[in-house]
Amino acid sequence: MTNNNIEQKKKKIDIWKIAKAVMFAFMGIRKKSDLESDAESLTPVQVIIGGIIGAILFVLCVMLVVRLVVS
Amino acid sequence: MAAVHGDAHSHGHDDHHPSGIMRWVTTTNHKDIGTMYLWFSFTMFLVGGFLAMGIRAELYQPGIQILEPELFNQFTTLHGLIMVFGAIMPAFVGFANWQVPMMIGAPDMAFARMNNWSFWLLPVAATLLVSSFFVPGGAAAGGWTFYPPLSVQGGLGVDLMIFSVHILGASSIMGSINIITTILNMRAPGMTLMKMPMFVWTWLITAYLLVLVMPVLAGTVTMLLTDRHFGTSFFNAAGGGDPVLFQHVFWFFGHPEVYIMILPAFGIVSEIIPTFSRKPLFGYSSMVYATASIAILSCVVWAHHMFTAGMPTVGQLFFMYATMLIAVPTGVKVFNWTATMWQGSMTFETPMLFSIGFIFLFVLGGFSGVICAIVPIDIQVQDTYYVIAHFHYVLVSGALFALFAGAYYWIPKWSGRMYNETLGKWHFWLSMFFFNLTFFVQHFLGLAGMPRRIPDYNLQFADFNMISSIGAFGFGLTQLLFLYIMISCIRSGEKAPQKPWDGATTLEWTHLPSPAPYHSFEKPPVVN
Repeated sequence: MTNNNIEQKKKKIDIWKIAKAVMFAFMGIRKKSDLESDAESLTPVQVIIGGIIGAILFVLCVMLVVRLVVS
Repeated sequence: MAAVHGDAHSHGHDDHHPSGIMRWVTTTNHKDIGTMYLWFSFTMFLVGGFLAMGIRAELYQPGIQILEPELFNQFTTLHGLIMVFGAIMPAFVGFANWQVPMMIGAPDMAFARMNNWSFWLLPVAATLLVSSFFVPGGAAAGGWTFYPPLSVQGGLGVDLMIFSVHILGASSIMGSINIITTILNMRAPGMTLMKMPMFVWTWLITAYLLVLVMPVLAGTVTMLLTDRHFGTSFFNAAGGGDPVLFQHVFWFFGHPEVYIMILPAFGIVSEIIPTFSRKPLFGYSSMVYATASIAILSCVVWAHHMFTAGMPTVGQLFFMYATMLIAVPTGVKVFNWTATMWQGSMTFETPMLFSIGFIFLFVLGGFSGVICAIVPIDIQVQDTYYVIAHFHYVLVSGALFALFAGAYYWIPKWSGRMYNETLGKWHFWLSMFFFNLTFFVQHFLGLAGMPRRIPDYNLQFADFNMISSIGAFGFGLTQLLFLYIMISCIRSGEKAPQKPWDGATTLEWTHLPSPAPYHSFEKPPVVN
């Protein structure tokens, strides 16, 4: 049970890390120390999937803003 | 490292390749193919430039003097197509062929024979395009975007253009697959993705973009072809189709295409500025992230090219906001280049001059792009000379200036000889002066309402058009100086040392002699 909890926690942290890396990528900025930690803990596949999800979220966010503006 | 060096020198004995014309026809060597790409693109640049001179000669004063309106339309159409598909894109592929293997420590491209085929498709496509001037009805005349219904109604020239675009697309896709495979599989030990030079990174991302959008263009022109010859009505409202559909699918290709033409330019400038500032690139990881970000965003902004084509307000606002947001990662890049130069030990050799010119003028082109992104303004300036000015600031002083910068930067490695620095500087300053003379005034013409793609115009546009034409003739002639500089460099320039630029740090400068041996890295270098 304790092991499972730790694994689940690790998984959550990974997803947050991917999200953070992708968000910073969209702005085009990243600290070197964060980048190095990304490179150690994230795989390219994770980042690519995160990027695609991030792009979809970005489109949805812009659409939401547009809806708010025209409503 | 010494072992690698020794190896590199001994390669001369193993250069088994046919001589004469067969060397070039059958070559699978990335340097030979890179050289052919570069000469091909320069030749097409001269052809496209000749068409530009024709356009500007006609527009030198009001009235029809030199080109009949039909021929004028053919000139504008083919000028755009040749410059985009024949000059700028192949030139960057030429740079990739020469530089990517050397910069990642690979012996050659991954698919060497496919590389040969990718190149040799190009002259076929170019022949189709150029020969279309001589078929009945002349060349395609509906603009480089070949919107229907004009492109459905045109003559044989349109068919030749469609086949030409098909072939160019196939060449680009093969080239991209080759570049992706080479970068992902053939890097030297120790060269992780985040240690790759920026030029390699930008090409990796560009290659993915090409693989994504080139099939869309191929599909679009195929639909056009079936509309023309097989009775379909994809783009014909009378048959249940929609001409606006064409615009959507075309620009889904066309806008990423803009970034395909500018991302490798970012890569070249990101190599040159650190070298001549004698500092590492500021925010390398940010640059990588910004490039990826620009590539993704470039796929969701296409309809800003068609704000006036009929679109709900929600659509206009979406594409306006998304387009304006793309300025954020682009701005990051500009700040990073500026920060790289900040407090650097800068010198201003020709590659650096063209790179700084690139930053200065690309920012102007970027800003006018943001202005065009605003729907109410775009509705006013669409299809005017303002748009012409905007995209020439992006593609000439952006992509082309970066290509010149790259050519001056790497010619010592390619040829083993130095170019004439004084003439190089003349080339830069004349290009800078005449470029702005040609295109800056076109902003005023556009704001005053002069439409694009017209051979004649009202009298109030006469002065600025004359200034623009004088600038264009000067710019065109200046490029012959570039040809002279390159030929005299290759033939009789001073011998170049291994690393003529003391701030250079990438593998081609640190590990390979000048000129680079025929086979660069048979034993990969170890990157620390």
